[in-house]
Amino acid sequence: MSPVSVLAPDLGVAPRARIRRDTATQRPHIPWAEAVARELSALASLADEAQARARVEARLDGLRLALHASPFHARRLRDAGMHPGDLRGLDDLRHFPVLERATLAAHWDAIPTLPTASSECVVVRSSGTTGAPVNVVRDRRDCLLMWAVLRFLLARAGARLPRRPRVVLLDALPGGLEYSVRLPILEDGALHRVSVLRADAAERLHRVRPAVVFSDPEGLRWWTARPELPRPALMLTSAQHLPTALRDTLTRDLGVPVLNYYATTETGPLAWECLRTPGHFHVFAPDVWLEPDSDDVVVTRLRPSVLPLLRYRPGDRGTVRRDACACGFRGWTLTGFGGRGACRFLAPTGRAVDAWAVAWVFKHHALRAFRLTQDAPEGFLLELAGASEPEAHALTERLVAALRNLGWASPRVAVRHEDAAAWSAPAKPQPFRCLVTPQGH
Amino acid sequence: MAFSIPRLREQLAAAPLASPYPHELAVAVICDVFRAANQRPPRREAFVQFERHRGHALWREQVSMLAHVLASTSLREETVKALDTTRTPMARLEQFFQEIEPLTAEMVRANAFRQEEFLRVWIRAMGGALENETPAASKQRLEQLDYRKAMADFRAAEAARKKEADRREQLLQEAARREAEARGWRE
Ligand SMILES: [Zn+2]
Repeated sequence: MSPVSVLAPDLGVAPRARIRRDTATQRPHIPWAEAVARELSALASLADEAQARARVEARLDGLRLALHASPFHARRLRDAGMHPGDLRGLDDLRHFPVLERATLAAHWDAIPTLPTASSECVVVRSSGTTGAPVNVVRDRRDCLLMWAVLRFLLARAGARLPRRPRVVLLDALPGGLEYSVRLPILEDGALHRVSVLRADAAERLHRVRPAVVFSDPEGLRWWTARPELPRPALMLTSAQHLPTALRDTLTRDLGVPVLNYYATTETGPLAWECLRTPGHFHVFAPDVWLEPDSDDVVVTRLRPSVLPLLRYRPGDRGTVRRDACACGFRGWTLTGFGGRGACRFLAPTGRAVDAWAVAWVFKHHALRAFRLTQDAPEGFLLELAGASEPEAHALTERLVAALRNLGWASPRVAVRHEDAAAWSAPAKPQPFRCLVTPQGH
Repeated sequence: MAFSIPRLREQLAAAPLASPYPHELAVAVICDVFRAANQRPPRREAFVQFERHRGHALWREQVSMLAHVLASTSLREETVKALDTTRTPMARLEQFFQEIEPLTAEMVRANAFRQEEFLRVWIRAMGGALENETPAASKQRLEQLDYRKAMADFRAAEAARKKEADRREQLLQEAARREAEARGWRE
């Protein structure tokens, strides 16, 4: 792997981001964050399924009230001849209507309950790997939740925080946005957003000496190419497919545990990938409930939020079962995650590469739809719907860079624009295809 | 043997309703239950009077649905066993139809909660008891399911929301102005 970043330094514009500077207002939420972590821990070690279900079901009281207070949910239930009071146990959920991502997109402003404190809500745009972007209303605790969950994950990974820990969001995205803010909610720490596109990125990391690093696979790869960087206590990433080799390099060679978690903007964190059994994602109960024995992820959010989510389908594949894991976790575990679109590209060396390793490139483009097909050892066809010419250009450049990182010496990406209206998006998109056979290598 | 909701629901699932019962036939099926319990069923005229004074848009389809459930499950047989003479058949029927007033036949057919409510209201009106359930638990379950009360709650919530609509609109607009990028956190 090349130690030099192949990412062009001048891609795109800086993403819009409103950064809250009034971080002192995090302080009143510290007891809440501690309670969230405590409850996640308690449930993750509760062996008795009936007791665990009772703990989860205790959260339904709050959900019932929220469903009543949500104009969308109230109307939808009434139209179906139901009411929130029908929801008494987890087994009742299967009788309720499912909320698709497209429906959430269409009714984003009718699903929230009435926000109580105006200053605390924001609207966040979620652009998934496929599908149109969704507006998501979030309250303050939705925005702070990951800091609560992080406490729990640090404990799971056996990682210890120093006093005033520094957290880095290592960003490999175009724009090179950087900032630093205080982080009172995490042991009086600080948060630094660092862009690998800036020339002084490594220098900044030496200075900051982060205890925790969040990044995407591209950022982690950048880190592995610089073994002289300080060793954080924990690295976190949220990738549908975290390449095994990358995890191994960080864990074995650098001695840094890597925690991969599954989250969507709409739902918040849903599950984390076991440190002992890769591919097994342990569910963050009781904050969320993922319905067991379904082929698709179906989420009911049980943590209070301005946006009540009842049987929400983010569009990901996976099956949830009750589990007693070798890592000591007791609870519900998601397996077969994202497996529907599984595809392996063939690198010119003959090595099979998980196609989802390039998925992050698409994540930050508001595409109506896309499909990437490998049709020659070095040749790819990128079909795009609803993308402008400059967007397609930027995307192609980033894609070529990602493919180089994965072992292609001179990848060619041909773009074909498709009519957005005529693109018949299947319910379960297959965004990656490989037409190249291993013979001849 | 007492009534069992899961058993009744199973039987109902196995007996799909091809077409609604004609009204006269449905009334006859209902009357037959009381006759089988050695009680004098309401006269035909009592139904006509009921419809004239207390009937509503959904009443006939409810009568038809009740006949279907009685004819295709063990509800008829269990009801015959449960009936005693403390109340008249018409008083029991009036209570039943009053309590299921907002339920459509389609809800009873396809909606698990309204189907359970329909069965439970019938069992209560006929003086029956449920298997493995205390009377207090049965009462509480019916309160949870009560669709009449739910409709009233919906209307109250709707009215409250109308009053709040402007404020809500404004708050969401403010939140949208604070729109932020999804990736990473801003705090
Ligand atoms: Zn595990």
